[in-house]
Amino acid sequence: MVNLPLAIIQAVVLVSIAPLVTGIIRKLKALLQSRRGPPIWQPYYDLQKLFRKDSIVSHDASWLTRITPFVCMTAMLLAALLVPAFTTSSLGFLGDLIVLVYLFAMFRFFMALAALDAGSAFGGMGSSREMMVSSVIEPAILMAIFSTALLTGTTDLSGIANTLATSGWELVVPSLFLGFGAFFIALLAENARVPVDNPATHLELTMIHEGMLLEYSGKDLALMELSSMMKLVLFLAIAWSAFFPWGIATQLTLGSVALGLLVFALKLIALVVVIALIESSMAKMRLFKLPNLLTVSFILAFLAVMSFYVL
Amino acid sequence: MATIDNNLVNGLAALVLLAAFALVASQRMQTIVRVFALQSLALGLLAACVAYITGYSHIYIVAALTIVLKALLIPRILTYVMQRIQVTKEVEPSVNTPSSLLIAGALAVVAYYVTEPLIMVGTSITKNVLALSLAVLLIGLFVMITRRKAITQVIGLLVMENGLFMAAISITYGMPLIVELGIFFDVLVAVLIMGVFVFRIKGTFETLDTSFLRRLRD
Repeated sequence: MVNLPLAIIQAVVLVSIAPLVTGIIRKLKALLQSRRGPPIWQPYYDLQKLFRKDSIVSHDASWLTRITPFVCMTAMLLAALLVPAFTTSSLGFLGDLIVLVYLFAMFRFFMALAALDAGSAFGGMGSSREMMVSSVIEPAILMAIFSTALLTGTTDLSGIANTLATSGWELVVPSLFLGFGAFFIALLAENARVPVDNPATHLELTMIHEGMLLEYSGKDLALMELSSMMKLVLFLAIAWSAFFPWGIATQLTLGSVALGLLVFALKLIALVVVIALIESSMAKMRLFKLPNLLTVSFILAFLAVMSFYVL
Repeated sequence: MATIDNNLVNGLAALVLLAAFALVASQRMQTIVRVFALQSLALGLLAACVAYITGYSHIYIVAALTIVLKALLIPRILTYVMQRIQVTKEVEPSVNTPSSLLIAGALAVVAYYVTEPLIMVGTSITKNVLALSLAVLLIGLFVMITRRKAITQVIGLLVMENGLFMAAISITYGMPLIVELGIFFDVLVAVLIMGVFVFRIKGTFETLDTSFLRRLRD
């Protein structure tokens, strides 16, 4: 029961709210720190401004630097078509969760390559750090996803959401919570949030994600920024629809889709508030302390799979 | 209905195991004590759930005692001891945190394999919890072995006791009341004595690192 227009509308919604989510996080953080903060629409203005500017590319950069923004954006647009956010009618049958994980991996891989391409020291530092983080976090993400895939008997994300959403209390098992916890830590690490990376800093010694974007400007930067924002929204959507999809629209009626949209908005806001709270109350971890946190994520995912078998 | 009860019991048991992992991961004393309190609270609620499902009223008393003693009183005593001797952080444990966590995960798998034959023949509704309780017990032992400060070792012992308690609840719906009361009294007195002992270690060596105790010669 896949409705193609609905799937496309869903992807468009995911793309268009991506800057808004980032804006809300920034605003909330500002409010929590007793600042006024920029309006929540600020990321849209920034992107608009960047899209109007020309991009300048280093003389030493090869074609990699040129195509990377498009590769990243394409990967995220594809992922947006596959992720069920407010309705399970996504194109999930075209690519399951594992494809999704590798789309994100492709995004990261090209970003790291492009950062090395221009030959700036900070880019190299950023990409080596990003690869270190991702080498630990990727098994955790896959393991967390397997826990819910085992539970529902499918790796198709909209299938998972559908099975969970149409079942009652008997599928609310510990492994869902453990998997959600693991995935949430992975979400923070993947999207360069505190305590793994600070999205607001350009301080040379600590940055991971921002270090890789230093060489970009103008339209290319806008594309990279937008795809990073989309990645955050997609991760938030996956976190809810893979583990707690209740409220998502499983039918094609107007009422259930409207309810799905409302519930999705509430769910997004809930996680956004949690992220803002974490970012205001915690310090960024030292790079060499990071494996501690990331192993916690892996162990949570591992426990999720184990508790599926034991309990 | 039965599955909701089951999920609740399993969820609380998973929370107890999760708290054991959190203990392995945390370094600050205050966090460790809080996590232990949380674990005991989850255990008390688990016992209350089992009491509700089975209808054995004596388990309610045990559950209440668990919450009052282990989730409130003992953490209070430990916090008091910590404030008196002003210790906040664990020294670097002898195994670093990521490997400790992985070893704890391996211990959980071992616990599962060891208890699997028992779980197969079990009849009680909570039989699945047995694997988790053995895992909690092993992790408590692991914490006692790898941590150096006396207080963390005391907490490791208490975690082992929690694991035992959960195992008893899961196989036989708890021991007879008189035995449980004896154990609670035992644990309380043990914590008090160990608290005094910690003061003495601090007074003698100016540190809580128990490896210094090897220097004791007559």
